[in-house]
Amino acid sequence: MRTLAWAVVAALFALLPLAVHSDVVLTVLVFACLQGMLAASFNLIFGFTGQLSMFHAAAFGIAAYATHLSMEHLQVSFWIGTLLAACLVAVLSLIVGSICFRFRLREFYFAVVTLAFSEMARLLILNWNSVTNGSLGINLQEKPTVWWPGAGVVKLDGTVPWYYVALAGLALTLLVCHRLVHSWMGRCFAAIRLNDALGDALGINVFRYKLAAFMVGSVIAAVTGSLYAYYLGSIEPGFLSVDQSLAIVAMVLLGGRRSVAAPVFGAFLLTALPHVIHFPAEVRSIVYGAILIATILLLPRGIYGTVSAVLRRG
Amino acid sequence: MGMRRSAALIAAAALAALPAGGAVAQEVVKIGQIEAQTGPLATYGWMGYQGVKMAVDEINRAGGFTVAGKKYRLEQISPDTRANPQEALIQLKQLLENDKVRFVFGPFLTNVFNGIEPYATQNNGKFLLMGGATAMHGMLGKPNHDYLLRTWNWDAGQSGFGQLLVDYLKKQGAKKVAMLFQNDAFGKVAVDIYSPIFKQAGIELQVELFEPGTKDFSAPLAKLGAGKPDYLFPGYTDAVLYDIVRQATETGLFSRFFLVRGSLAPGLKNKEAIDDYIAYLPKYFEEAEKKEPKVKAFVAAYKAFFKTSDFPYDQAPLCSSSCYDHVYMLVEAMKRAGTVDDVAKIKKELMSMTYSGLWNIRYDSTGEAVFDFDVVHMKKGGVVTATHVQPK
Amino acid sequence: MAQLILGQLLNGAIVGTLYGIIALGVSLTFGITGIVNFALGVFMMLGAYAAWYLTDTLHAPYPLAVAGAVALVAAAGWIADQLLFRFTRNDLVNGLLVSIGLIAALEGTALLAWTSTPKEMHHILPGVFFALGLVVPKMKLTVFAILLVAIALTQLALTRTWMGRAAYAYAQNAEAAQLMGVHTGRLQTGVMVYSTALAGFGGALYASLYSLEPTLGSLYVLKAVEAAILAGIGSIAGALVGGIILGVTEGVGSIYLPLAFRDAYGLIFLVAVLLFKPSGLFGGRR
Repeated sequence: MRTLAWAVVAALFALLPLAVHSDVVLTVLVFACLQGMLAASFNLIFGFTGQLSMFHAAAFGIAAYATHLSMEHLQVSFWIGTLLAACLVAVLSLIVGSICFRFRLREFYFAVVTLAFSEMARLLILNWNSVTNGSLGINLQEKPTVWWPGAGVVKLDGTVPWYYVALAGLALTLLVCHRLVHSWMGRCFAAIRLNDALGDALGINVFRYKLAAFMVGSVIAAVTGSLYAYYLGSIEPGFLSVDQSLAIVAMVLLGGRRSVAAPVFGAFLLTALPHVIHFPAEVRSIVYGAILIATILLLPRGIYGTVSAVLRRG
Repeated sequence: MGMRRSAALIAAAALAALPAGGAVAQEVVKIGQIEAQTGPLATYGWMGYQGVKMAVDEINRAGGFTVAGKKYRLEQISPDTRANPQEALIQLKQLLENDKVRFVFGPFLTNVFNGIEPYATQNNGKFLLMGGATAMHGMLGKPNHDYLLRTWNWDAGQSGFGQLLVDYLKKQGAKKVAMLFQNDAFGKVAVDIYSPIFKQAGIELQVELFEPGTKDFSAPLAKLGAGKPDYLFPGYTDAVLYDIVRQATETGLFSRFFLVRGSLAPGLKNKEAIDDYIAYLPKYFEEAEKKEPKVKAFVAAYKAFFKTSDFPYDQAPLCSSSCYDHVYMLVEAMKRAGTVDDVAKIKKELMSMTYSGLWNIRYDSTGEAVFDFDVVHMKKGGVVTATHVQPK
Repeated sequence: MAQLILGQLLNGAIVGTLYGIIALGVSLTFGITGIVNFALGVFMMLGAYAAWYLTDTLHAPYPLAVAGAVALVAAAGWIADQLLFRFTRNDLVNGLLVSIGLIAALEGTALLAWTSTPKEMHHILPGVFFALGLVVPKMKLTVFAILLVAIALTQLALTRTWMGRAAYAYAQNAEAAQLMGVHTGRLQTGVMVYSTALAGFGGALYASLYSLEPTLGSLYVLKAVEAAILAGIGSIAGALVGGIILGVTEGVGSIYLPLAFRDAYGLIFLVAVLLFKPSGLFGGRR
């Protein structure tokens, strides 16, 4: 029953560009899907293993730069570049994760240490002018290419092709997260989230599973970063900022932490809302803060989470 | 006979009842603005927003403007980018596709510009983008970038004011200058621009870049002070200038300042401790208000429009870019081109005219603004002399 | 060179006490209410703007303005506690997220009220002291002294007053403390109010030294959290020392190493400490 519902949703989204011709709406959706990938992968670490990672934005940004640099210096295609970037982030998250988890840093310290690494990465990128062009950022002239049956090698240009890429990325992300969470690995995650010591007592190698969740989540963020940068057409050190990390946290919060899809709802909401409701700038901050607070205090399971709980009960 | 007369009377009455100029609703020309109105660099966006708002209101209240026999009024659409390229891209798309805007002011921020540039370039020929971003400079004149006009003047180059200011500094006897700038897009470019200029002038330059957000400059000032410079060349926004100038004078190692951005206010606040405070100001409003009637009128109009007794003297110089004058200049260009839609024709007019408003503005051959400015020199105690410069 | 280092040691110590007073608030809040209150940064900002407004617009004498600012911020802290933080006791994540929401809302309000144009208080105590070839602005040294006194008084209050000892007892063993008659709710609210008052106090003093803008708190609260963790949550003197260590590391680090990485030096030091002593330099109880 559930699968059928999801299949219908997927079909609707896939057919959307046929009905909706507004470039604005499709652009918002592209960004929403990419942010959704970030939110869902973040939740793998945050919602399912209970670790507040501030490294997500760093993974996102580092991968963007890495993809560009490998395309430029190693003359590889976008997809190989993204693969290389993902590998780089996998290694980095392995190192950072090992340091944090091996030393049994508690939840909060984990957040601080990941933040520290994130900030250091950002400062490095900001100041390594010869490689990253520092604060001026990089304008990406190249476009990724795909092989399409019938048309040969085509450039990914324009909102509609990117819409499908982003949608596919989101679908893939949700699939991976879903399989992981519902596997035996996922059950271990749940145990760890509830109580580290309990997990240990049950014979679960807590360290290994925390690290696994952290790495998978970060790698997905990396792939997202690559896609995002090439869609936007530019990269800047701001990709790694604390603000970016906090925006991801807010999305997950708003959507919900307990299911795989809930964060995506939050991502869609937060991406589209500023463009639907127009507030003067300062008022927007106030409204945003108020929504965040209201959600946490009144809807601790997030909007999606609360709605689905209500539906399940009724 | 009676019927025909009644009919004629009724017809005459009906004709007389028609409104004088015809009951046609005024058509609208929209001006979009994509600037950061919140965040650390919001001052530029803020002033731009204020100035455009005033100009639009003035023009509309005067009945609008006429182009090729038709009457138009203006509408301002100003979303807040929050300095986020993703937001700005969506906003620009909304402006161009939903609101059918042909004239967009902004952005000032480089990262925002980089985010919208690919889309803007795809829509080359459909609109004009008039902003002050540093990164725009390198894009002017490139193929498919006809939509671009940069409304902030450039420090370097023939009509650049940087050279002029450094020459002025040299005449003051400066031999060594310490440069302390934010480590951001403009800071980086400033170092790139001014290093060769100082070198050519034979002035030694020592550079330190600080992380934006810094409030305590004790360390960099100590480092720079050790080199015993003649002048300190500090960062470019008032947010840091207040702190840098104050802390610099407190160390006792710096009493002379050289600025290419920012206002006079930090100098005035510390006037007893400063020997020389030389600043480039797009306009020294305090004095211009007394000497130039247009400026006086603007200040009065601002106070009346925003219902305040405070005129933002420190921020007003920022109105030299994508602001009040530029609205009027655009309207003038539309009139001359005889169209509100043909952006190529309008741009041609913009590039061939010199507009005299608060500033005398013209665009050089690449599409970058050149306008008159003031070199302000404050001496100890707060005595200010301003030299007005009209670049060629 | 020695001059340079000495100067940065002193300046680092002064800047560090400002981090320290916020860190104290962070530490107390975490110890008693179980959350890390990032919103202390905006309370600092409110204290700064309140002091500025009272001094420059209403022309109150500075000490009175500071007192007024602290009172206002404490009141704001109490309201925030009653409406928000009361519901996030011992819930680190929710507490964090409510803080983020509060920060956005209050920064937006400040922006609305005062715009992003920087404000600067008139100079309260202009002039500098000369000592050992070092130059220290008079106001900076005064602020340093005042902050040290405030922190010392807090230490005293915690060890001598009933409320303070109740707080200590609670931090050690919540259940036992409750059994002994400590009214948890009132204690937690009290600590909340006190830590926001401390932040407001820090902000009011900050206003006499630096220019103001709505986002000024974010940098300080981040440093404060770093300092609190460095020292170990629960240690009062530790919060101060942690702040000073952080301030000094940044200042001295910037002399030898690129200035652009200033923020990183403190972070690296913090990570290093956490890896070898996760409970912080002085921590050990929790």
